[in-house]
Amino acid sequence: MKKYLYIFRAEMMSALQYFSNLFSGFIGYFIIIFILLNLWNYIYDDPTELINGYTKTQMIWYVIITEILWKIFNGRKFCRQICNDVKGGNIAYNMNKPYSYIGYVLSSHLGEGLVKTVAYVAVGMILGKIFLGTFPSHSVSSLMIVFLSGLLAVIIDALCIIFISLISFYIEDAHPLYWLYSKMILILGTMFPVEFFPTALQGIIAMTPIYVICYGPAKLFVDFSMDSAIHIIIFQILYVLVAYALCLALYRKGVRKLNVNGG
Amino acid sequence: MLTAVKNQIKVTFISVKYALMREMLNKTTFLMNVIFMILNNASFILQWVVIYSLKSDVGGYSFGQVLLLWGTAASTFGFAHFFFKKSFSLSDAITNGKLDSYLVQPKNVLISAITSDVEPSAIGDLIYGVIMLIVSGLTIPKVLLFILFTISGGITMTSFAVILASLSFWFGRADSVADTGNGMITHFATYPDGIFHGISKIILYTIIPAGIINYIPVSVMTTFDVRLTLLVLAITVGMTALAFLFFYRGLRRYSSSNLMIAKI
Repeated sequence: MKKYLYIFRAEMMSALQYFSNLFSGFIGYFIIIFILLNLWNYIYDDPTELINGYTKTQMIWYVIITEILWKIFNGRKFCRQICNDVKGGNIAYNMNKPYSYIGYVLSSHLGEGLVKTVAYVAVGMILGKIFLGTFPSHSVSSLMIVFLSGLLAVIIDALCIIFISLISFYIEDAHPLYWLYSKMILILGTMFPVEFFPTALQGIIAMTPIYVICYGPAKLFVDFSMDSAIHIIIFQILYVLVAYALCLALYRKGVRKLNVNGG
Repeated sequence: MLTAVKNQIKVTFISVKYALMREMLNKTTFLMNVIFMILNNASFILQWVVIYSLKSDVGGYSFGQVLLLWGTAASTFGFAHFFFKKSFSLSDAITNGKLDSYLVQPKNVLISAITSDVEPSAIGDLIYGVIMLIVSGLTIPKVLLFILFTISGGITMTSFAVILASLSFWFGRADSVADTGNGMITHFATYPDGIFHGISKIILYTIIPAGIINYIPVSVMTTFDVRLTLLVLAITVGMTALAFLFFYRGLRRYSSSNLMIAKI
């Protein structure tokens, strides 16, 4: 575990060195929130109106949180890194190291993610305060549970991306699969809470990663209840275990057919 | 003059043709890129189905018009990224001194630099644009306008990217500015302009040309207006001239990094 903490810290320090790179991301984040703010302002005739159980303020806070998560995920870069490791043969250098490749990429991704988390949470809260004027009411313990749920969401998303990227062992480029996955998360997860979809679809979405990656933490932030918190956290822990086991199985099977040429 | 332009167009098409042939060497990957990009774009329909289940019109657009908005956005994006892919990473070429090989070619430096590679997935965007056009209702004038606005929008988008990338000649690393600016167009262009008000709406028709690339074309394809069509074409010409002006003014400040690269 110590070695993974070391990788985590090294990546976090590296991300801090390039902190200024985050500024362009802040602009992109602001634009998305600005567009969605205008969209929901248009859809809600009255700020007190309830649509599928959400007020306008709750809806905008929901997208502020899911967009923070989306920015932290940074899946495109992460997927590209693992795909290139597999395609380019770099993965061979990691095979004889005294750590698991999955543990290595996961801890380095989380190290970078932590810096982003601090930065984007600060920006998101400032934007929410400017645009909406109020915060959802929370106690310290409920905020800590929301944070834990967010952390588990980032880990699950990272494991899903690792799994997709490792498919590169079998097909040359797994990027197109990542596009579909990311769009599924973006549209079914970050834009709307599960309650906005037809009843038949809600049950299906509740079984997919969307529920634990986007809906869970955002729902807990805008409308916290201990019952839903316990339900979401247990579901997230189960997802982490299953996703990790699947990644490990795919990796072990994939490296057996790895063929690296050159030196 | 006319012969020079004809030759330049010929060279551009040859360059694009060879870049495409290079990408098609692995047919499975090429086809996957195209097909998955279509599916990727199509997934956004679900977003609009949900939004239209809440309200019958969004920003004055019907569901069909939003599909057309998406179709035009995808086709202009596809056109720009297929033919002029390198304009979206031009900032990197300028900063790292990678323009040397284009400077010694007996053709236009800017055009040679931005047409030296193609994005295979952009074909998926172009196909998706056509599918959305068909879904939103097909008429001959609409098809002709769609082709015209795909080309004009693609050129405007490319010009905007070149102008932003050219800032690297003066300010060094401007790639994040260029990426943010290019991303802004795509984000705004896929939402109806009727949801924006005041200063943000003015910006969308000036500083961020999403209105010129997408909103006016959709409006013209819905209700034909010759003045608006000419306005779009005039702005396209103006933006293109501005892009050349920025690039060639900046090129005077360019310095090579003596980078050794193989161009295959």
